[in-house]
Amino acid sequence: MPPAIETVDLVKEYGGLRALQELSLTVEEGEFFGLLGPNGAGKTTFINTLVGLVRKSGGEARVFGHDVEDDYREARDAIGLAPQEFNVDRFFPIREVLMHKAGYHGIPEDEAAERADEVLKRVGIYDKRNERFDWLSGGMKRRLLLARALVTDPDLLILDEPTAGVDVQLRHDLWELVTELNEEGTTVLLTTHYIEEAERLCDRVAIVNEGRKVTVATPDELKTRGTDTIAVRLESPVDGTAVADLEAALGTYAHEVSAAGDSLEVRVDDGGSTAPQLLNDLEARGHEIVDLEISRTSLEEIFVDLTRSEDRTVTRSSASSADEEASSMDEEGSSAEASEREQEGVA
Amino acid sequence: MLSVGFRSLFRREVLRFVRRPKNTFMPPAITNVLYFAVFGVILGGRIDEPVAGIGYILFLIPGLVVLGTISNAFENASFSIFHGRWNEYIHETLTSPLSYIEMVVAYVAASAVRGLIVGVIVAVIGALFVPLSIENGLFLVATMVVIAALFSGLGIVGGLVARDFDDLTVMNQFILRPLVFFGAVFYSLTMLDPLWQYVSLLNPMVYMVDSVRYGLLGYSDLLEVAPPAYAEFAPYASLGVLTLLTAAVVALDVYLFKIGYGLTD
Repeated sequence: MPPAIETVDLVKEYGGLRALQELSLTVEEGEFFGLLGPNGAGKTTFINTLVGLVRKSGGEARVFGHDVEDDYREARDAIGLAPQEFNVDRFFPIREVLMHKAGYHGIPEDEAAERADEVLKRVGIYDKRNERFDWLSGGMKRRLLLARALVTDPDLLILDEPTAGVDVQLRHDLWELVTELNEEGTTVLLTTHYIEEAERLCDRVAIVNEGRKVTVATPDELKTRGTDTIAVRLESPVDGTAVADLEAALGTYAHEVSAAGDSLEVRVDDGGSTAPQLLNDLEARGHEIVDLEISRTSLEEIFVDLTRSEDRTVTRSSASSADEEASSMDEEGSSAEASEREQEGVA
Repeated sequence: MLSVGFRSLFRREVLRFVRRPKNTFMPPAITNVLYFAVFGVILGGRIDEPVAGIGYILFLIPGLVVLGTISNAFENASFSIFHGRWNEYIHETLTSPLSYIEMVVAYVAASAVRGLIVGVIVAVIGALFVPLSIENGLFLVATMVVIAALFSGLGIVGGLVARDFDDLTVMNQFILRPLVFFGAVFYSLTMLDPLWQYVSLLNPMVYMVDSVRYGLLGYSDLLEVAPPAYAEFAPYASLGVLTLLTAAVVALDVYLFKIGYGLTD
């Protein structure tokens, strides 16, 4: 089977601005794949290229082997999209909205009605089926977007910030539901700002920044790329000269040494395997150790490090890739603007 | 062509205006009652001589039918597309596996249906003021379908080009209506000086109004005032040209959808 998503050197330019810069990604069938990146990283542009709302400027993009432009009908038929914005037909009750969407995908009316009922029950808003979209609460609107994505029974479910601005209960409900769908065989592409979400749900994540792929890895692999901090409490305080001596002595494995009173912090690659050596080295220099604690870098810290731009303080080598990157477009700003648009009149 | 997807979109589009008669059918009905009452009965009653041998109210009916049909076909298509763009729910269609031809034909057909329904409503209102019979039924139906589809197709272009709701108003009020009002709706071309008769022949609306008048009443201004070589078969030539024009506009719509003009980034 071809990959669920395969892009090769995908480029999208808006005038002089490159929103996607030779972005190559592969999402395997059945995978739960996360797309992480700061605002304006190109996540929504990437998704919209797959579903036909953005025309690519260069490169290739395929969904289950179907080119998104040459074989757009097959590609779009395979995708269920729950976008970030509330772009739902306001003229009809939500059950009919879902029936229409199913119909566009070639599902006959009777079956479309059954599916609409089924997905409304599944996302928990069946009792609102005869309401129009504008009358739903924010959480219900978010659920409806998911229902609309599911009503066509897609092989690839794309969720663009599905839990942005929703309460904890709904977030957990959505997590449970998409996990269930993934276990049933649906490939899921999730974009999110919530690192916890990606860590909890995704098999692999891609971190993108300013239209470029920074890295692709499992959440566990990513965490191993971070540094750990070993915090040591000493019997007696260390002065500046002692810290300088320690920096020189521990330089082979310590990235940074800092001290405040009797507390010493040493940043290393792998705290677990380095701690015994650090203890030995400290004792060899006459420091008596009272307590020791190792803290691992969170995925969030790694994410921040990987997507840090050159105009900020750069402390890690990985940030160098960001030096080449162009300025980003503000997708979030335009989305917010769009969501504020109001319906006007009926002609 | 008549796939499930196409039928779903067509149905959605038709339901949108059918379920809102207060917004879609009542206004043209009321407007045309006023037209017939004011122009037909009050003013027309003072016109002693029949226009082109036809009573004035009867003469008015075809023009007002065309006015109602094309205005509503255009308005429906342009509004449907633009409102969908404005609120972004047109993405429901654009992200579906419908072909671009299916999308366009569904939008055009649904808007044409609205235009035709309004045309029938206007004719029925006219018939309340004066006895009405149809002279060339088949020709009338063919002409009405073609002009309704033509303006639906133009409405799609309008909906794609518009940047705000004011643009739609401008298109309707400043382009469409003047052309229709100078399109021999309220007068016969035979009432004009020869110079203005020829100038009027540059207005495409003249051919639409004239063709519908020919289909409904059996009378054509063009048979009287067009150059002899054309006048002989004027109504049929008009229908032929309008059909070609409609095909060209629909093809343009499909092309615009294909390149995503006004629809995609």
